[in-house]
Amino acid sequence: MISRVLLAVGLSVLMLVTGVTSYLVLDGRQSKVAAPPSKPTAATPRAHALVLPGTLYLAQSGALYSFSSGRFHQLTAEAGWSQPTSTPDGNNLLAVKNGGYFSDVYQLNRYGTPTRQLTSNAGRLGMRDPSSNHWSLYPRLSPDGGTLWMTYDGGKCSGCLLISFDIWAMPVNGGMSKAHAWTNTNLVPGGDVQAIPVSGGIIYTQYSYDDQGRPTGQLWYTNRANSVGRALTTQAEDCRNPALSNDGTQIAMICTYVKQVSYLTIASWNGSTLGPRQTLITDQMVAQPTWAPDGSGIAYLAPGVADGPFQLWWLPKDAYAPPPPSPTPVPTPTPGGPHNGPLPSPSPTVVPPPPVIKPIEVTTNDGFDATSPMAWLA
Amino acid sequence: MLAVALAAVSGGFAYFLPAAMTAYQATGQVVKIASPSPAQLLFTPTPTSSTNPAATGDFTVLLLGSDDDSKFVADHVLTQSMILVRIRPAAKTVTMLSIPRDLYVPLSTGGTGKIDGAYSYGGAGAAIATVEQDFGVHVDDYIWVGLLGLIKVIDAIGGIDVVTSNPVLDDFYPQDVFSNSPYGYERIAVLPGPQHLDGVHAMQYVRSRHGDLESDFGRSQRQQQVLLAIRQKAKQLAPEDIPAIAAAIGGELKTSISVSRVTEMLPLASSFDNPDSIQQIVLLPPYTHGGGPGTSVIANWSLILPLVHRYFP
Repeated sequence: MISRVLLAVGLSVLMLVTGVTSYLVLDGRQSKVAAPPSKPTAATPRAHALVLPGTLYLAQSGALYSFSSGRFHQLTAEAGWSQPTSTPDGNNLLAVKNGGYFSDVYQLNRYGTPTRQLTSNAGRLGMRDPSSNHWSLYPRLSPDGGTLWMTYDGGKCSGCLLISFDIWAMPVNGGMSKAHAWTNTNLVPGGDVQAIPVSGGIIYTQYSYDDQGRPTGQLWYTNRANSVGRALTTQAEDCRNPALSNDGTQIAMICTYVKQVSYLTIASWNGSTLGPRQTLITDQMVAQPTWAPDGSGIAYLAPGVADGPFQLWWLPKDAYAPPPPSPTPVPTPTPGGPHNGPLPSPSPTVVPPPPVIKPIEVTTNDGFDATSPMAWLA
Repeated sequence: MLAVALAAVSGGFAYFLPAAMTAYQATGQVVKIASPSPAQLLFTPTPTSSTNPAATGDFTVLLLGSDDDSKFVADHVLTQSMILVRIRPAAKTVTMLSIPRDLYVPLSTGGTGKIDGAYSYGGAGAAIATVEQDFGVHVDDYIWVGLLGLIKVIDAIGGIDVVTSNPVLDDFYPQDVFSNSPYGYERIAVLPGPQHLDGVHAMQYVRSRHGDLESDFGRSQRQQQVLLAIRQKAKQLAPEDIPAIAAAIGGELKTSISVSRVTEMLPLASSFDNPDSIQQIVLLPPYTHGGGPGTSVIANWSLILPLVHRYFP
C-alpha cells in the first residue's frame, strides 16, 4: 500500500517537473529579437578588443559615450543627450540635450560635464503654447569656432501646424537673439537638416518632394545666407548624413534611392561639386558615416543582425582605397657568359588577388542612436 | 512513460494556451456586410474570375487602424488608417493601396461622409461594405489594429528598422497615449534617416500629419513603410515568441481570418523578399483633391477606379 502511495507521489512529482520543464524549455527558446540592448562597455569580445584611433563619441538611450582603446566610457546620464560634435580645438564637445518638448545645444568638456548652454529653446509658457518651444539639433562649429551652425525650427508662426527645419547660424557668444536663418525651406516636408561646415560654406540635407510626391533627401551646398545654393546630389539618389573627411577632399553619405535601403557612399569633393559616387556598403541599413581623424577608415552605425538595433561598425580604408599593387618583378639578366641552348620561356608571375576587406562589427548588442552623428577626435 | 509524455504536452499546452485564447478571440471575426443598393454604386460591377480566391490563391485584405484611446467609445472608433492589400502568392507580389481617411464617400450605412467614419457607425462590416461599394473591389478579409496594439506589437518584436524618409515635426501631436490628459498635445520630432524605432516612436512617425504638406497622404506613405518593416522583422520570430506577442496584442487586434488560415499564411509572408515586388500606392492629387465638406477630400473617381481595378478585382 505504501509503495503504491510512494509510486503515485513520485509519478506526480515527475509529471509536475516534466510539465514545468517543458514550459521553461519553450520559454527559453524564444528568439532574442526583443531583448533590449545593453549598455556599451567594450568592443565585441575577442582576444584583443578592436582599437580604433583617437576617441569616438556617440549616443545611446540619451547618454553620451566615448570609445577609446577598445573600451566605452559613459560620459553623461541618460538624460536626453545626443549628437555630439567637437570644438575645432578638440578640447570640448557640443551636444544636444532633449528637454522633452524642446532641445538645446550645450558645450561640455571631454569628460561629459556641461560647461555652458548655448541656446535657450524652452518657451516661457511651456506646452500651454507649444509653438513657443523650439528644437536646436545637429550642432556644428565653424572652423574658427565663432559660429554655431544648427538645425532649427525658428521660422514657424505661432499656432501653425506646418513646421519645418532650416539651417541657422548663431554667433557662439551672441545668444539666440543673434541667430539668423541661412536657408528658408518654404515648408517642404521637414526642411533643411544636418549642416556641416566646409571650406567657404556649408553642406546640408534638404528634404523635399520629388515629382511623384515622395519625400527625398538631397545634399546641397551654399556659401551665403538666404541662398539655397546648389544641389550636390539628385533627388533620385535620396542622400543624407553627409560627413567630410579630415583632409576635406571626400564626402561620405547615406543614399537610400527613395526605398527602404541604405547605401554607404563616398565621393570626392573639390569645394564646389561632388565627384563620381563610390558605393561601399549595400547590404546593411547604414547610418551616420564618420571619417577616422587619421584617414584610416570610416566608422558607421548599422544593425548587427537584420532589423536589429544599430551597432558600431568599422570599415578600414583598404576596403575602399586599396594600396596600389606592388610592381611585378622584372627578371634581371644574370651576369655571365653567353647562354647556350634554348632560352627558358618566362613563366607568368601569378599575382594573388587582393584580400577582400570586410567591415568589422565593433559592438554586438548596444543599440546606438542612429539619428545621432558621431564625433571623432584624434 | 505515457504520464510523463502527457505532462510534457501539458507544459507546452500551458505555454501556448494564452496565445491560443487570444488567437481565438481575435481571429475568425464574423462580419455582416450589407449589400449596397444599386443607387449607391459608383461603378458597374463586372464579374472577374479572380474574385474567387480559391481559383487563383490571390486575396485582398483590408487593414484598418484606429485611435482607440480613452477619447473614444470602444467599437465606435474612426479608422485613421485604411489600406487595401492585394496578395498574389503565385506571383509573389503585394499591392498596398492607402485610402485617404478623409475621403468623402457614400457610406454603406447610409448618407455620405468621411470614409473613416464607416467603422464607427457599423464596425468592420460597414467599413468593408463601404470600400467594396465605392471602390468596386472584393474584400476577402480584414484586420483591425488599435493604436496601443501597434505600439505593443512593435515593442514585443524588439522594434523595427526604418529609413524615415523625412523629418516629422508636430507641435500639436495628440497626448492620448500613456497620458492622463487625452485631449492634450505634445511636441514630437522624428528625425530622418535609417534608424531603429520602438513602438512609441514608430507610432509618432506614422500618426503625425501636421508637419506634412501632403497631410494624410504623407502619413499613408509612412504607414506603409512601417507595415513592411513589421513584416520584415516578423520573419525572424520563432513559434515560441507567439505567447509574448499575443499577450502584447491583448484586445487590440481583430480579424476575420481564421487561425488555420493565419497558419497557412505565415510561410507566405516570409516568401516576399524582393522589395520591388511590393507595390505601394497612395491616392495623391490628381486622384483626390481637398476642399470637400468639413475638411474632407474629394475623390476623382474617373481616375481612381481604373487604377484600383488594375490591381484589385
